[in-house]
Amino acid sequence: MKPKKWLTTVAASVVAVSVLAGCGSNNNNGGNAASPSASNPSSPSASASESAGGKQFENMELNVAVFQGGYGREYWDTIAEDFMKDYPGTKINITASPKIAELVRPKIVAGNPPDFMYIAGSDNLPIINGLIKDKALLDLTEVFNEPAEEGGAPLKDKILPGVLESRSSSPYGDGQVYLAPYNFGVMGLWYNKTLFDEKGIAVPKTWDDWFALTATAKDNDRALFTYQGLYPGYLEEMIVPSIYSVGGQEALDQFYNLDPEFWKSDTFKQVWGLIERIAKEDNALMKGTIALNHTQSQTAFMQGKAMFIPNGTWFEDEMKDAPREDGFQFGFLGAPAFTADKPAMAMTNVEQLVIPAKAKNPELAKEFLKYLYSDKSVKLNAEKSKGVLAVKGAADMSKEFISESMYNVYKAVDEGIVTVNGAFKSVAKGSKYNPSDEIFKPISSIMNKQLTVDEYGAKMYDIFTDVQKELEQNGAQE
Amino acid sequence: MSMKTRRGLFIAACLLPGLALFLLFKVYPTIQIFQKSLYLWTGVGDEPKFIGLQNFVDMFHDDVFLLALRNTGFLMLVVPVLTLLIALVNASLLTQSKLKERGFYRTVFFFPSILSFVVIAILWSFIYHPTMGFVNSGLELLGLGDWAMAWLGDQRTVLWALAVTLIWQAAGYYMVMYMAGIDGISPDLYEAAGLDGATRIQQFFHITIPMLWEIIRVTIIFSINGVLTISFVIVSVMTAGGPDRHSEVVMTYLYSQAFTNSNFGYAMAIGVFIFIISLLLALISNKLTERGSH
Repeated sequence: MKPKKWLTTVAASVVAVSVLAGCGSNNNNGGNAASPSASNPSSPSASASESAGGKQFENMELNVAVFQGGYGREYWDTIAEDFMKDYPGTKINITASPKIAELVRPKIVAGNPPDFMYIAGSDNLPIINGLIKDKALLDLTEVFNEPAEEGGAPLKDKILPGVLESRSSSPYGDGQVYLAPYNFGVMGLWYNKTLFDEKGIAVPKTWDDWFALTATAKDNDRALFTYQGLYPGYLEEMIVPSIYSVGGQEALDQFYNLDPEFWKSDTFKQVWGLIERIAKEDNALMKGTIALNHTQSQTAFMQGKAMFIPNGTWFEDEMKDAPREDGFQFGFLGAPAFTADKPAMAMTNVEQLVIPAKAKNPELAKEFLKYLYSDKSVKLNAEKSKGVLAVKGAADMSKEFISESMYNVYKAVDEGIVTVNGAFKSVAKGSKYNPSDEIFKPISSIMNKQLTVDEYGAKMYDIFTDVQKELEQNGAQE
Repeated sequence: MSMKTRRGLFIAACLLPGLALFLLFKVYPTIQIFQKSLYLWTGVGDEPKFIGLQNFVDMFHDDVFLLALRNTGFLMLVVPVLTLLIALVNASLLTQSKLKERGFYRTVFFFPSILSFVVIAILWSFIYHPTMGFVNSGLELLGLGDWAMAWLGDQRTVLWALAVTLIWQAAGYYMVMYMAGIDGISPDLYEAAGLDGATRIQQFFHITIPMLWEIIRVTIIFSINGVLTISFVIVSVMTAGGPDRHSEVVMTYLYSQAFTNSNFGYAMAIGVFIFIISLLLALISNKLTERGSH
């Protein structure tokens, strides 16, 4: 009887949750919708054309779905109010949820998607991948080629360099933008700044310097390194910049384009050599790391059990309630270079905004998207969500609202610490492979010394040969 | 209208809403699973494309699926056997020994069954915590520090570690079921056997087990199915399928194919396969244990 009982409970709670979620979003819609229509009861389209520089929209209603995560929803509520004031007669309905993908999925399947979506969070992102695979997103290239203000430079000049060209914005590699950038995060290695300052430890510039710290770490009663063992995907924050550092953009493209030859290259051997070195060198990897989840390992790091851990700019906020050693201060290193003549690097991650191809009101959605990149919006975003938009100068505009450690990281990016960013090319539709899982999960076995880098490389070569074969077959079918 | 037809109509009217809900929420989704397993479908916005049995063929060329199947098989074999054995022995000890603290133990052993699976998983991931966990600290205290290891981080131990959690979770529940069964066995049988000189162990094998046989048969099926469903929560929270997929089970793999890989059709095919396997296992265990009752 037990399993059955469990099932019923689950079913009941699912129903309850979905009902509640439905209520929540509806209420909010009501709240937002009330103010514009009350303040502007007559001839909405006429007044819209007046203030929006002669722009007229056939459809004045915009349905927006946003992820309500660490950044909250306040920004979206406020920016929607502002937009409705600047474009009188328009009406924005916001649906926000931490599980936004579950809410929009049925609507997308039914062919009735929201007009504008901000999707983030690992639970939700797969829906974006699905939409990319289905080619169901609206081409936004034109929005970024148009001037930001009347007669000004095109909007794309405002965006951080490299972002629009990367696969996270241009998923098919044809230069067309399908995903617009929103908040960006910087990822890399972190250390305890107080410890480094007090003991006069120099921040390592190269991987050799970094490994030399194993002895220093031992003197300070800690291991050199720990990571989020259950989720080896975090290691990309060291691996991706390293690939770039050794093999340049060419090697990184090979990696992200799922080219099997990458796994025979010298770049691969050098970068994964680091992993093997961490696994083998004495006092390099904190004991038991592989069995720890993200909270456990990050807590261990903050309690001074390890000197370095990979993570992103959300780190401080994520761990604000966690216990820490005395005087702990967040310090950001990024990823060391391979040789002293190369610069330190960091990986960036850009959150995405999309307009589904089947959106009912794409014109207004595009106008809303443009509106989000205005200085006013960038500031508002920093104030309400503590996030930094991927536009030039956003760090300074956001300074008063974000923590010092975050500001320093963002400022470093603004001032030219080399950043890399990318996303895997989509595998063929129906493929069983997930590039990120295939690449990062076996690293646990390397760390456990149960798999050598050579065996690993051979395995990857086979997998990605298969992936390419599937892509070719898929192409032939279409 | 005769009394009989009115009665029939009344019964039908009472049954209809329930039947409609059952059809809508149980039967219809189940049929959908079977149907969608024959399609290539991302589960997002595309038109499902019929591909026949291709998903099922792919399944047996998918190394990760086969590994997940092997891991699930291990758990389905080890967990029910040990759970039921421990439950049976405990139930028998607690009912026969006339312990004063009987009620207390009964409650304590039953306790895990009323905790949520997520709580249990978090609890055990701290018990196995490599540095501050109860298991490793205990070993160090006993001077066996060399035996301490990252139980959930090593492919040799991870499945056993998960099995222990699953057994701990379920043993108390089945123990209470068996205790109720043993309470229903006439004490005369034990008294007569005692007079004939049968030892407690002989009584256990020749009276308790045969008298409980029907209950044991049912619990075997419950237990096997329980492993399938509970392992999803336990694995997701405790290991995320790691290290390197050595604790991936079919349910977690199904979930990741459906929701992170956008392979709905394939995930449904895995679902159908699991459905058939568990149905077969239930039938087999029913057939195998049938002979014993005679």
